Amino acid sequence: MTYTTKKEPTFTKDAIALDDMILTKDSPTTAGSKMLEGYTSLFDATVAEKLSEDYEILGKVAVSEFALGMLADSAATALDEKEIKAVVGLDANGAYRRTAALTGKVFVKPTYGTVSRFGLIPVACSGDTVGVMADGADEAKEVLGVIAGHDDKDGTSLPQEVCAAALDAGTIKKIAVVKDFTANLSAEMTAKVDAAIEKAKAQGAEIIEVDGGVLSQAKLAWAILSSAEFCNNVSRYDGVKYGYRAKGCHSIEEIYVRSRSETFGSAVKSAILYGSHVLSTDNYDKMYDKALRVRRLVKAYFDELFTKVDAVLLPACSKTDLSATECVYEESKYTAPASITGLPVVVAAGVQWLGKPLADGALLAFSKQLA
Amino acid sequence: MEDLLDMLEKVNQLSLTDEEKAVAAGYFAATEKDFATFSAVDTDGVEPMVHVMPLENVLREDVSSQPFTREDLQKGAPEAEDGYWEVPRLIE
Amino acid sequence: MEYEVVIGLEVHCELATNSKIFCACSAKYGAEANEHVCPACCGMPGMLPIVNKRVVDLGMTAGMMLNCHINRKTTFDKKNYYYPDLPAAYQTTQLFAPICVNGRVDIETSKGKKSVRIKQIHMEEDAGKLVHDDWRDLTMVDYNRTSVPLVEIVSQPDLSSAEEVVAYLERLRSLLRFAKVSDCRWEQGSMRCDVNLSVREKGSDKLGVRTEMKNMNSLAAITRAIEYETARHIDAIVNKTEELVQETRRWDDEKGKSFAMRTKETAGDYRYFPDPNVMPVVIDDTWYNRIKDSLPEFPEVKKARYMDELGLGDFDATSLVESRAFCDVFEAAYAECGLAKDAANWILKDCANLLNRNQMTADMLSIDGRALGKLIRLVADEKVGRANAKFILAEIFAGATDPEKIAVEKGFIVSNDTSLIEKVVVDIVAADPKSVADYKGGKEKAFMALFGKCMRELKGNCNPQVLRELLLKEIDKA
Repeated sequence: MTYTTKKEPTFTKDAIALDDMILTKDSPTTAGSKMLEGYTSLFDATVAEKLSEDYEILGKVAVSEFALGMLADSAATALDEKEIKAVVGLDANGAYRRTAALTGKVFVKPTYGTVSRFGLIPVACSGDTVGVMADGADEAKEVLGVIAGHDDKDGTSLPQEVCAAALDAGTIKKIAVVKDFTANLSAEMTAKVDAAIEKAKAQGAEIIEVDGGVLSQAKLAWAILSSAEFCNNVSRYDGVKYGYRAKGCHSIEEIYVRSRSETFGSAVKSAILYGSHVLSTDNYDKMYDKALRVRRLVKAYFDELFTKVDAVLLPACSKTDLSATECVYEESKYTAPASITGLPVVVAAGVQWLGKPLADGALLAFSKQLA
Repeated sequence: MEDLLDMLEKVNQLSLTDEEKAVAAGYFAATEKDFATFSAVDTDGVEPMVHVMPLENVLREDVSSQPFTREDLQKGAPEAEDGYWEVPRLIE
Repeated sequence: MEYEVVIGLEVHCELATNSKIFCACSAKYGAEANEHVCPACCGMPGMLPIVNKRVVDLGMTAGMMLNCHINRKTTFDKKNYYYPDLPAAYQTTQLFAPICVNGRVDIETSKGKKSVRIKQIHMEEDAGKLVHDDWRDLTMVDYNRTSVPLVEIVSQPDLSSAEEVVAYLERLRSLLRFAKVSDCRWEQGSMRCDVNLSVREKGSDKLGVRTEMKNMNSLAAITRAIEYETARHIDAIVNKTEELVQETRRWDDEKGKSFAMRTKETAGDYRYFPDPNVMPVVIDDTWYNRIKDSLPEFPEVKKARYMDELGLGDFDATSLVESRAFCDVFEAAYAECGLAKDAANWILKDCANLLNRNQMTADMLSIDGRALGKLIRLVADEKVGRANAKFILAEIFAGATDPEKIAVEKGFIVSNDTSLIEKVVVDIVAADPKSVADYKGGKEKAFMALFGKCMRELKGNCNPQVLRELLLKEIDKA
């Protein structure tokens, strides 16, 4: 499952693994795509640079092509099988959150802008977040502490003092459960949610039920925004400068079409087609621009809700027997609200706990109590 | 739908097999069923939100540096010679 | 039936920055292929764009020079298309909130004065360069120019002849060079122009079918292209020789014809969207005023001032305002020496000669104007002879800033000791009776020969007037 194992741990430092979306100059980074087979970056991602100071980076964990898939199961497997403290990887469309929920791991998707995206293979830039998967909240918190911080090389990076504040512990006393999202779950998932609520109550948290309002629209809005950004981000892979070039091409068009078609899988192709569809002149206003406005409404929904509660509980997916071949779009209903707003999420006790911006430390402290 | 996918293939320099087209059509159909309620959301007067964090003026000083060599950049090039990347002759 | 041509222009000017717009690569022209390239500007994944502040400064400056409204909040968008000169397959540009809108440029032609409205100015990145190799049947790609910052200046369709177009372009060039926004060199591609043209019945308010000719790079070619394209349109309308279609055409200046283009630009839908990686640029009053205060006088204002206040003639004033560098040196020199006419002469003759000899253009004059002023003062005060002053100018041209120090070191300071001059004059006159006789016989040239010999003997360090008087006196005696 593990893509490469660079070296055996020396045990002088703790070991961690990166996923195959994070560029490093001493080993290939392929985003799980045949397009980038053997591609080695000329520079290290900021997170890789930071991690290498404190940890032994053992290697790269495989990802689904451009991390669009349902699960990040290689990361969970690596945590179980290797002597590593954490896997650091890109949460593009919720794969890490679903996987953590199903395997009982802890995953923190930090507040957008607190961890640098420099050196990340971009998927959907306005929501891409580097997160940490670990066996427990302490490990996740420790590693997040290493990678969080301002980076001049990322134009969306928050100021250092803001990044630092995200790690402060805080208390979570009142939690909202969004009704529309806890209905229609499989029996196993309902049980997981109920158990999580009980654990929270046992820690003295007050639970209130709220209506989802505009929240259910985050799913399509994020599909529109993220596909468009993805389509734009992967148009650079064209067989001209690096990566795969189809053999025996006689024209530039042939290089483009064959190099891309021979390497990209069907999920990638679908997202590209849809992403260009929503940006066409005819559709821009009713799809892309509309989605940008819906994003603001979703953000406003959370802003309002967080005046009343400290955290919001959302399931990470609808059922426990997810298969890699299912349409991720349907399951993204649960993960899109945080993706589209950049809010911090900690997956613990099998569900997502969303907080207001910079509540990362509070969520981690809370999830530790749930263990 | 078929015409739309054919057009989008061209736009994106792609060629899809029939199976891949079926997957794409499925994806489009899944989103399409949510489109009516999405469209019905009242967004009049709502400002589009491009960035989730309210930063502005992230700028750098006008200082140049050249840390990478041409040889490094072209190491993984499918075709490069004399410092140029190369492609078949373009016809204007 | 009479017809009129309606023309709008999109002018691209590369901005005079050190580095590119979104990465730190050098933006300088003339490097070996792909020497000014990094992972970002050759389309590799992982690097993120950070806007070069100087680009915004220059974008604002351009707008203010062209009487535009400056948008205090300006944003960047991505424009998508596939072409090998565009390594990431998108160009970052400004669609939704360009930095400047609604400007005006005043021009003058044989038909009189006219205002051309500016629709907008936006900042964007340039594309790379393609070199076609017919011998090997391939195209070579050079990304040095990729992401070099540009402003695109979009006019309203207010132009109605090639003459007006040329006047407009020359005016733009003059203003942008004056404000140091761009060096606007047609021959290096740092100024390029797309011509949108249509023809309609005179007086009609309905526009005809519009064609666009892209990437024109000389005024002569633009003039020929407009004339050809106008004739083609009229011919198509009057004689029904062809069906006009809205399209992008390529002007072939050698063949003197335009041709329909068959590649990228016909694709049409660029699928613009706001760049999620670039935060809005917000221009506050401090920033706005800093740029406003840094604007140069318009060239014609400067010219009038040079004539009215400093007493320069039309020719000198006109010549100086051709170049902002000339003006800067002139003003600094004048401030130091107070001698406008002398300063103009030193710049337009002596500095111009030095530039020529070094194969440099007027804009490349970068000497210390105050040093030139000091030198002019030394000459005016008759402390340094003119020939020696030229030597000192060459030193100033090479970077020296203290002409007096050079004069002292080289022994160029004119002696006030007339006894030394007298001694030389006596010796020279005594040694050359033939020239003395020739002069007395009416040959003016013979005096100059004697004068020159004295000057050489004195190494130029004497007041020519004093030498002349003493020499005449000595010849009389002889």
